[in-house]
Amino acid sequence: MTRRFLTAEDVARAAGTEIVVEPETLVTPQAEELAASRGMVIRTPSGPYTVPPPDRGPDADTAAAHRAFLPEPIDSVAVGQTAIVTAVGANKPGVLASITAKIAELGGNVEDVSQKVIGSYFHIILTVRVEGQPFEVLHDQLVCMGSPEELAISVMNERAFRFMHRV
Amino acid sequence: MTFSDREILETIRMVELETLDIRTTTLGVSLFDCADPNVESACEKIYTKIVHHARNLVAVAESISSDYGVPIVNKRIAVTPIAWVAAASCVDDLTPFARALDAAAKEVGVDFIGGFTTYVDKGFTNSDRALLDSIPRALAETERVCASVALASTRSGINMDAIVRFAAAVKDAAERTRDTGGFACAKLVCFANPVPDNPFVAGAHISVGEPESVLNVGVSGPGVVRGALARLPAGSDLLAIAEEAKRTAFKITRMGELVGRECAARLGTTFGIVDISLAPTPAPGDSISDILELIGVDRTGAPGTTAALALLTDAVKKGGAMGSSCVGGLSGAFIPVSEDEGMIRAVKDGALSLAKLEAMTSVCSVGLDMIAVPGDTPASTIAGIIADEMAIGVMNHKTTAVRIIPVPGKVVGDTVEWGGLLGTAVVQDPGRFGCEVFAARGGRIPAPLQGYRN
Repeated sequence: MTRRFLTAEDVARAAGTEIVVEPETLVTPQAEELAASRGMVIRTPSGPYTVPPPDRGPDADTAAAHRAFLPEPIDSVAVGQTAIVTAVGANKPGVLASITAKIAELGGNVEDVSQKVIGSYFHIILTVRVEGQPFEVLHDQLVCMGSPEELAISVMNERAFRFMHRV
Repeated sequence: MTFSDREILETIRMVELETLDIRTTTLGVSLFDCADPNVESACEKIYTKIVHHARNLVAVAESISSDYGVPIVNKRIAVTPIAWVAAASCVDDLTPFARALDAAAKEVGVDFIGGFTTYVDKGFTNSDRALLDSIPRALAETERVCASVALASTRSGINMDAIVRFAAAVKDAAERTRDTGGFACAKLVCFANPVPDNPFVAGAHISVGEPESVLNVGVSGPGVVRGALARLPAGSDLLAIAEEAKRTAFKITRMGELVGRECAARLGTTFGIVDISLAPTPAPGDSISDILELIGVDRTGAPGTTAALALLTDAVKKGGAMGSSCVGGLSGAFIPVSEDEGMIRAVKDGALSLAKLEAMTSVCSVGLDMIAVPGDTPASTIAGIIADEMAIGVMNHKTTAVRIIPVPGKVVGDTVEWGGLLGTAVVQDPGRFGCEVFAARGGRIPAPLQGYRN
C-alpha cells in the first residue's frame, strides 16, 4: 500500500528542494502551502504532482462490476432517454401546440400523448424521447413555460415511474 | 403508453402535492487511515480526505434530482467515529478534530457532517473519555458537526457512568449555546444499539465493518402515506390501513433505491443501504402525527397512539423491505417532536406528555427525539430520562436514542424556535420528582438475558 498523505509535518522534515510522492498520495493544503513557502517542489516519480481521483476502496470496484447484475424494473431504458411531461392548467387554445413545439425545438420526439379536458381545465401527458439537448435542458426549459396561475408543467425521467410502478 | 394516466398522476401528485422527497444522500467516508500521533497532521488528513471524497457529492445529487424530477433535500457526510481516529494523537481536547470536520463540510457545501462519535456501551478508552468531555465545546464552536455516543447495547448492557457524563455534556452544551436556545444539543444524540450505517443526522456515522467509502440514502414521505390513507374508503379497517401504508412505503422506497443506485454509480462508490424511515419536517402535511390522527386518535398522545404507531412502523418496514435491494439504517417512523407540526400541536394541546412519548419510542424506529425541557432540569434527571430510553432499546433488541435540549432560561410551556428543519419546540415537563441517588450510583446495568443469543 502506498503512502496515503503528505502533511505539513512531512514537508517540515524533508530536506532538499523537491519531495517525491506516489501518484496516489493526497497532499494536504497545509503541506502545499509550506512547500511553496520554502520553495520546494512536490512531484511524482514520473512528473508533476496532480490530485489523484478518490480511492473509494476495494468494494467500489466490486460494486461497479456487480452493478449490471442488479435487476432493473422490466424493460428499463437507459438513463436520460425518455421523459414523462405532464401539464395541468386552464384550457386555452394552442397550449398543447406550444408545448410540443418547444419539445421539437429542443430535439425531443413525442412518442405518446394523452389529453383530457375537465370543464375549463385540461391535463396532458406526453412521453418524450430525449434526443438532441440533454435531459436537464429539456427539463428546465419546459418547466419555465409554466405559470403559477395558468399552467403547471412537470418533467420526470421515465425510469422514476418504472421504479415506482413496476418491479 | 407504458404507464396508465393514473400511475403517472399518482407519482406527480406525490412529488408536487405530498412532499415526496429523498431526505438525504449521505456519503460515508472512512477516516481510519487519518490517525496520526500529531494532532495537526491528523486534522489535515481528515479535512483533505473528506473534501477529496465529497467534492462532487452536492453536484451529483443535484444532477440526479434534476434528471429524475425527485427533490433530494439534504446532502451529508458520515465519518468514522472520531474517538477511534483521534486515539493515536493522545490528546484530551478533541475540538480541533471537530473544526476539521466543520471546515470540510463547509468546503464541499453539505449542511451537516456526522461522526464526532464514540461507543462506550461497556467502558471508556482514554480517547472515548476525551471525546465525551470535548463534546460541549466542539458543538458550541462549530456549525455543522453532529455528535453521537453509544451508551448502551443489548450485548453489553447500560453504562450508567457514561450516561451521567453524557447528561453533564448535554447541560454544558446547552449552556454554551444559551443565545440560540441550546442549539448545540440539537446536534447531539445518544444511542442504545446504534446502527453502523445511519444516514440521518445527528446520529450519522460509519462504524467498523463498513467500506472505505459508501453512499447511503434516507427516504421520507409522511405526506404521501397520509394522502394514500386519506383516500381509503370511509370505515376502512386497520388491516386495510396497514396494507395501504405498506404499498405506499414500497413506492417511496423505490425512489430511494433508484436515487441510491444512481448516486453511487455517478460517484464511483459503493451503494450501501436505503433507510426507509418516514421522517417528518416542520412543513405542513409532512407529519407523522397527522398520519396517527388520520388513523383515528383525536390527538397524538391519546390512547391508541402507540398501537397506531406500531402499525405504521411495521407497515413501513414490510413495504420498504421489498422495495430496496438493501434496507438498513433505522428504518421505521421517526417522531422528533419539534420537527413535526402535528406533534407540536399535540404537546400544546396537552395530549402528548413525555411519558407517552417514551411509550411510543418502544415501537417507533428511534426514540425521544428533539425534546425540549426546562433549562434548570437537573443533570441527574436528564440521566434518568436517558437511562429509561436506553433500557427500552436494550431489553427490546432495538435502536433507541435521546436528543434532549434543556433550554437555558425557559420554563414548562415556553416555546423555542430553532428554525429550518429543526422547527419549533414547546418546553415539556419532566416531572417534579428526580432520581439523584439512582444516577449517582453509577456503574453498569449488565446485559440482559436476551443479549446472550449465541
